[in-house]
Amino acid sequence: MKFVDEFRDADLGRVLAGQIVATVEPGRHYKVMEVCGGHTHTIYKYGVDDLLPANVELVHGPGCPVCVIPMGRVDDAIAVARRPEVIFTCFGDMLRVPGSGGTLLDAKAEGADVRMVYSPLDALRIAKQNPDSDIVFFAIGFETTAPSTALTLLRARAEGVANFLCFCNHVTIVPPLRALLESPDLRLDGFIGPGHVSTVVGARPFEFIPKDYGKPIVISGFEPLDLLQSVYMVLRQLAESRCEVENQYTRVVPYDGNPRALEALAEVFELRPHFEWRGLGFISQSGLKLAPAFQAFDAELRYPVPGIRVADPKACQCGEVLKGVIKPWECKVFGTACTPERPIGTCMVSSEGACAAYYNYGRFARERQVV
Amino acid sequence: MNPTSREPVCRTDPGCITCSDQGMVMRVAEIRGEDGFAACTDAAGALSEVQIDLVEPVNVGDSLLVHAGVALVHLGQAEAGS
Amino acid sequence: MTSLKHAPPDEREQQVLGRIETARSRPVRFRDPQITMAHGAGGKATRNLIEGLLVPAFGSETLSTLADAGVVTLGGLGLALTTDSFVVKPIRFPGGSIGELAVNGTVNDLAVAGARPLALTLSLILEEGLSSDVLRAEVEAIARAAREAGVEIVSGDTKVVERGHADSMYICTTGLGQLDARARLSPASLRPGDRILVSGSIGEHGTAIMLARGEFELDAAIQSDTCSLWPAVQALLGVAGPGVRCLRDATRGGVASVLNELARASGVAMLVREATVPVHPAVTGACEILGIDPMYVANEGKLVAFVAPDNAAAALDALRGVPGCEGAAEIGEVRTDPPGMVLVQTAFGGKRVMDLLVGDPLPRIC
Repeated sequence: MKFVDEFRDADLGRVLAGQIVATVEPGRHYKVMEVCGGHTHTIYKYGVDDLLPANVELVHGPGCPVCVIPMGRVDDAIAVARRPEVIFTCFGDMLRVPGSGGTLLDAKAEGADVRMVYSPLDALRIAKQNPDSDIVFFAIGFETTAPSTALTLLRARAEGVANFLCFCNHVTIVPPLRALLESPDLRLDGFIGPGHVSTVVGARPFEFIPKDYGKPIVISGFEPLDLLQSVYMVLRQLAESRCEVENQYTRVVPYDGNPRALEALAEVFELRPHFEWRGLGFISQSGLKLAPAFQAFDAELRYPVPGIRVADPKACQCGEVLKGVIKPWECKVFGTACTPERPIGTCMVSSEGACAAYYNYGRFARERQVV
Repeated sequence: MNPTSREPVCRTDPGCITCSDQGMVMRVAEIRGEDGFAACTDAAGALSEVQIDLVEPVNVGDSLLVHAGVALVHLGQAEAGS
Repeated sequence: MTSLKHAPPDEREQQVLGRIETARSRPVRFRDPQITMAHGAGGKATRNLIEGLLVPAFGSETLSTLADAGVVTLGGLGLALTTDSFVVKPIRFPGGSIGELAVNGTVNDLAVAGARPLALTLSLILEEGLSSDVLRAEVEAIARAAREAGVEIVSGDTKVVERGHADSMYICTTGLGQLDARARLSPASLRPGDRILVSGSIGEHGTAIMLARGEFELDAAIQSDTCSLWPAVQALLGVAGPGVRCLRDATRGGVASVLNELARASGVAMLVREATVPVHPAVTGACEILGIDPMYVANEGKLVAFVAPDNAAAALDALRGVPGCEGAAEIGEVRTDPPGMVLVQTAFGGKRVMDLLVGDPLPRIC
């Protein structure tokens, strides 16, 4: 696999690590936040942290769409899934997110027809194969995933698949970043920008970060070398007192994103006035719902959902982890009451969540070097 | 539950690639007669159906970035060795 | 000139990690209110069920060793006894079928216990409506696999259940073998410095099943690796004898689960060098698309061997001489710290933990 192997080359990694060491100001501590679940995963999976000096701390932000779904929405999903006429479809990680009374996996074990799919098109296929049932697709994800839902809804409408419905929990990337930057308890030096969200929205929407908040941001690919290089580019901006949006992932991300994808999103979705994010509270204009022309496919309009706002369990500190204020092991219930087998909060459920990633991959004595 | 239903298998461990925003680089193998679909292969030869509405027109041999079954970026025309 | 100083691990982090390890090493309790698919996956949920419910209930010391086969001594003769059930879906897949799995899977449990497989019993649970042609083909596959493995099927049973209750067929087996005099196999024998070998490329069976289910529109030329491991075991015992500390066949849960079970059972640590693990490129590709690590994917014809350092080179050579094991490789070693954990040195140069999974990467693969 030539394309990928190049970006996992250990020798190149060591070269970049050396460049990072040379760029870091001795004695200074840097906090760089990455917001994309896929980046968190790569960092832990390849041990990218091990190649950085202890001066550079990578902080994991709220870029995992599973992690930010509040418990009340999971309860709503389970309520729909329990309906006898419904076949409920969703992505793998959502099956284990705990609502207030259990998970979708528990509901499945109790007899609800809950099925895992890889894309909304799989769900549409199930709808065509099961005309006597209502197929509900639990749509989650940022702007990377929303286009697939949009295309599927456009197909459903064109093909007249009346028994396909969408329970829409898509979110957008800019509002939570702005909320983080407004937050007084955060001290960040720079950002690693989401690599695949930007294939849809482009690099332009992130310009507010250097312009309004004076922090550099580098849009990164997903291979370990991409991340190392992006960290280097952030540190170099800081060393050179520059502050701009840089694109490390030029081989994939176009500056203007994908206009056709944006058109599809504009046609099928509209912004909710506000949407609740786990740990971050209500953020305005941050969630998507189906546009009026697609009302017939909206699960929230077809079925009554409890819609009850459920507070996180008292012990849960997911909010602070999601904002990068505390590290996973600093959460009081990390690894004891909250484990991947018995997760309390979403950061432990999704393996892109900072807590699950640290528990599964990072949980050992680590010696680092300091510049 | 219908015991003979053949449901797709999706891992719950160690991670959901859709949830984690991962994209795959794939090569167009065959353009389906049906509107907006192409069969694409990954670097190891595994074949899957991809929606190409957002990156059309494509030709056999082109590289695409695919997420959740949808091509989001047209990475370039077929080149020797790319 | 930038100077690099040494930064020891964070003390508070160490304390938290220490507390977690203490919690993890407490005796397991089975508290789940109902059985889910996770309990059949070979990961943490399965372990909780076995160690928390089954072993305490039956009170057998032999059972509590949790080996692949139970050893019973009869007048000085060491006999190994094992049981297995096969619920793979679909029953036919590239490289094999449920019948072959049933024979080889049972034979392999005996083989990795260091026992020559002698005899099997076979229990068939057939679904009403199963085509006789399909049954005939399976029966022939079973007979063929038994002949190839050199075992006799000495007894059996047949049941039929109503449509919808057995997914074509389920097979249950018992296997009997005689302990080889050279075998001194036990997790307790593992020592820091021991080398970890695998008998060939990993992840093929589970990937083949997943593709055969045909739900993903994925097409790749991957076949199940189902085969008897007794020739490989004989080769190892012949060249290394007591230098072979322990053997396991890496079925559901994959190589990663085997390593974790043994690390936990023996209190040692293990380090795997990712770059040395043999994986067929097609398996890497298919697993990457689906986001699964091949280390967790089931095999049906691969073993993991722990060998004393002095015997490791000869053991590897001997393995590579066995037909089907040409791809055998040394993938890591046993260490002292951190006890009970498996670490991976990634090809990129960093380290990470490789833990047991909670549940189900691929349900019903064997």
